[in-house]
Amino acid sequence: MSTTALLLSLPVLAAGAVAAAALRSNRASASVAIASQALGSALVLSGIWGVLFGGDVIEVSWVWPAPVESVVFHVDGLSAFFLIWSLPMTLLGTVYATAYLRPYYERGRHGAPHFALLNMVALSFVLIYSVQNALVFLLGWEIAAVAAWLLVIWDYRVQKIRFAGFNYLVSTHVGLFLLVAAFMLLHAHTGSMNFAGFARALARPSESRAAIFVLLGLSFALKSAFFPGHTWLPRAHAAAPAHISALMSGVIHKAGLFGFMRFVQLMGRPEEWMGWSVLGFGVVSAFFGVLYSTTQRDLKRLLGYSSTENVGIVAIGLGLGCLGLTWGTPSLAALGFTAGLLHVLNHALFKCLLFYAAGSVSQATGTVDLEKLGGLAKRMPHTAGLFLVGALASCGLPPLNGFVSEVWLYAGLLSGSGASAQSNIVLTASAAALAFSGAVGCFAMTRAFGVGFLGNTRDTTLSIGHEAPLAMLGPMWLHACGVIALGLAPGFALPLIAAGLRPFQLPLSAGLGLLPLDTFVASSRVLSVALLVAIAWSWLRGLDARRTATWGCGYGALSARIQYTASSFAEQIARIFVTFMPESRRERLPTGYLPRQSSQLATHHADAVEQRLFEGLGRGEDLVARVAGQISEQPRVAFAAALIMLVVVTAGSVFAAAGGP
Amino acid sequence: MLFRALNVAALLLMPFVLAGIVQRVKSLWSGRKGPPVLQLAFDVRRLVQKSAVYSETTTAVFRCAPYVACISAFAAAAITPLLGGAPCVSFRFDFVWLAYTWALGRAALMLAALDTGSPFAGMGAAREATFSAVLEPIVFLVFGALCLLSGAHTLHEALALRLHDGPAWVGWIAVIVAWFIVLQVEAGRMPVDDPSTHLELTMVHEAMVLDHSGVELAAIQMASAVKLFVGCAVLATLINPWAGTDSWRAVAANLVGCVFAAIAIGHVEVLSARVKLRAVPSYIVVALVSAVVALLAAAWRAEGVG
Repeated sequence: MSTTALLLSLPVLAAGAVAAAALRSNRASASVAIASQALGSALVLSGIWGVLFGGDVIEVSWVWPAPVESVVFHVDGLSAFFLIWSLPMTLLGTVYATAYLRPYYERGRHGAPHFALLNMVALSFVLIYSVQNALVFLLGWEIAAVAAWLLVIWDYRVQKIRFAGFNYLVSTHVGLFLLVAAFMLLHAHTGSMNFAGFARALARPSESRAAIFVLLGLSFALKSAFFPGHTWLPRAHAAAPAHISALMSGVIHKAGLFGFMRFVQLMGRPEEWMGWSVLGFGVVSAFFGVLYSTTQRDLKRLLGYSSTENVGIVAIGLGLGCLGLTWGTPSLAALGFTAGLLHVLNHALFKCLLFYAAGSVSQATGTVDLEKLGGLAKRMPHTAGLFLVGALASCGLPPLNGFVSEVWLYAGLLSGSGASAQSNIVLTASAAALAFSGAVGCFAMTRAFGVGFLGNTRDTTLSIGHEAPLAMLGPMWLHACGVIALGLAPGFALPLIAAGLRPFQLPLSAGLGLLPLDTFVASSRVLSVALLVAIAWSWLRGLDARRTATWGCGYGALSARIQYTASSFAEQIARIFVTFMPESRRERLPTGYLPRQSSQLATHHADAVEQRLFEGLGRGEDLVARVAGQISEQPRVAFAAALIMLVVVTAGSVFAAAGGP
Repeated sequence: MLFRALNVAALLLMPFVLAGIVQRVKSLWSGRKGPPVLQLAFDVRRLVQKSAVYSETTTAVFRCAPYVACISAFAAAAITPLLGGAPCVSFRFDFVWLAYTWALGRAALMLAALDTGSPFAGMGAAREATFSAVLEPIVFLVFGALCLLSGAHTLHEALALRLHDGPAWVGWIAVIVAWFIVLQVEAGRMPVDDPSTHLELTMVHEAMVLDHSGVELAAIQMASAVKLFVGCAVLATLINPWAGTDSWRAVAANLVGCVFAAIAIGHVEVLSARVKLRAVPSYIVVALVSAVVALLAAAWRAEGVG
């Protein structure tokens, strides 16, 4: 019964996509997409319900002609954990889209393909998370990538957006090549295309396993926008419609983390260097992601960098889990994976909320440039309040959900359960790095909310429209409820996480032994009650209070232009970390005692890593271009792509041959 | 139970006393008698009776932020061993709670500052945010080192560590140095911030609260006094030879320790000038180095033992 429901969701979503694309009216295709996704989500939920709560793993397979051999549907707890929220969140994004795209309809755009693509994204989740066959997995992977690309370039008439989309497309395909290379190696070693078959080659340490791990890790890291593979992400997030940024950041790119966990599970017991490298990758991503989020002017770019930070935090948890598996300490492994999985869910909840709020700002004002915004809280109180909830959760502040996953992470890092004194030192230092990313994240989010929503509107010519319609506020409210509920009652998420840990044969209780939740959650609840009382009390006091102008420290002519700007807010921290964020200035400063000319100052903080990466790539590109130029008949892009793939595959095969059977 | 009640009583009284002691030390050094030790309590009572004035620019964020700051300061105090023994509430890894409730209060005040639209308040908020970004990792290095040194995972157990060998002593002293600087930054004291300056351009904490008045201002003053007490109590518990036990001598030692910490803060405040704002991160790096030393000492010790 549950298997049928799960399988039935595929044709339902596909038929929904076809129907949505075929319909002429925007409203009709949106309704079809929403209805089919709702039905698909319900089917998937009823399908995985048993698995989630301790039932048997769903497994069906069909024989298929070569090279597929057999298509295996295998839904275990890990798949169920990712499926249970991915589809409903995509549905909420689709609901949001109906209102977000309305101004475009008025300009004559046709929304049908967009809704069809959203359905395809939902479909790809079912394929990626539940099929354990390399070819079908790649198919789902590619559907998600191409659909996301087409969704990003919704506003394709703008050159910048086309560029951002192309950037994403190239990055995601570099990741795909790596994944294909890894699967080819696995196939060469095992002669199988099924994950169960792959497990044979992955179970024992060997050099080929190491090569495969590196290839897979890089591919998944590119997918989830780990540093330094993050460069496509801020661009794509700034270019895409808000709900697409939300879905990409919160939901679609979690597939990379799923892929990683799936292959760790197939490995069983990873080697120590693997756990350390994942942890290191996570720390570096969290550090740089959060650092770059402090200087962004574009609210959506800022949120994009914050995604890199958050996948870094998840990776710290996953790395800790891998180390726990290596050292044979189930408590550490369970705690690490629990923190990682919970943060995946938490990040999906608050990051979608933040992007949706940013979308409603961009719809009301036509811009997300922090230097122009300000004072939105008075005009759009719902959006502002919801953004604040998301922002505080993203800082990991109590009593919201981000805090719970971060406490778990700290518990794992500081528990002193490392195998040696040195490893404990490194884990403690990682905790300090996590604290840094928390504090700087707090900086970035305070800046985003404080400059964007509070004070006065900085650009006085900006016309602020109305509060977002219900179709946009509704999904935001639901996400905010999730953020608060998981903060005050993380117990709700525990069964899901227990399901996610089951394929690793890790009991949830092992992790909870290191950090019992009861007192900690009770404290959070008491704190939240006190905060609620304070908020109500201050609201009452504000009703009939005396009001006057802000005190200007003796200066009477305060204007909106005199406020601290987003750039000035970040100036000091940018100076401390100038190595990573070189400042470029364009200035015409006043000269003489009575300057006649008007003065100007424009500063910009570049992503140094991206800059250097592209400089390096640029040199490589020249080389490729020279070679490609000699073969004038060939389509150059295809040739370059083939060249890259050749290099990767050769390198991989050499590795594999060195350690192969 | 008795000692928990004492904790609560201390929490209600000591913040005023410590703030008064710091003030008294400063006054005596500059040749004045100074205000009464409980002046802050009188100030708070006076402010509570006054009605508040709000800026037209502000929103509800501005009005509720002081209460959030005050509540989070008390929430942090709840897990701190204020009198050397067991705190009111304790759970594993409760020091994360301490750091993050402080961060919540800080975030609330920074948002309130930006809400006024005043350039000075925004400036204060930016400085505060920058300093805290550099400070937060140190707090966790200190707690991490304490965990490794003591093998315990709650704040009051980790602070009550007993020392026997050489490396641990080094770690212990490094932790005290690092925490003292953390305390100076968090409580907004010299040489990081000058609480008695009259020039807005040089302010950090004071600039953020320029627009608050009435009960809200009282809540903010209360919050920073409670933070000062929590910081001093952590330091006192570290030094307290009877820490970790619910006994009268532990209580007495902790109170004396708190008073000494306040006197030390007062001395630094009166005998040193505020460092340039651009140099504050470098000053905080001193704490970072101490924290790293503490961590290495902890490792060294673990190597020696294991």
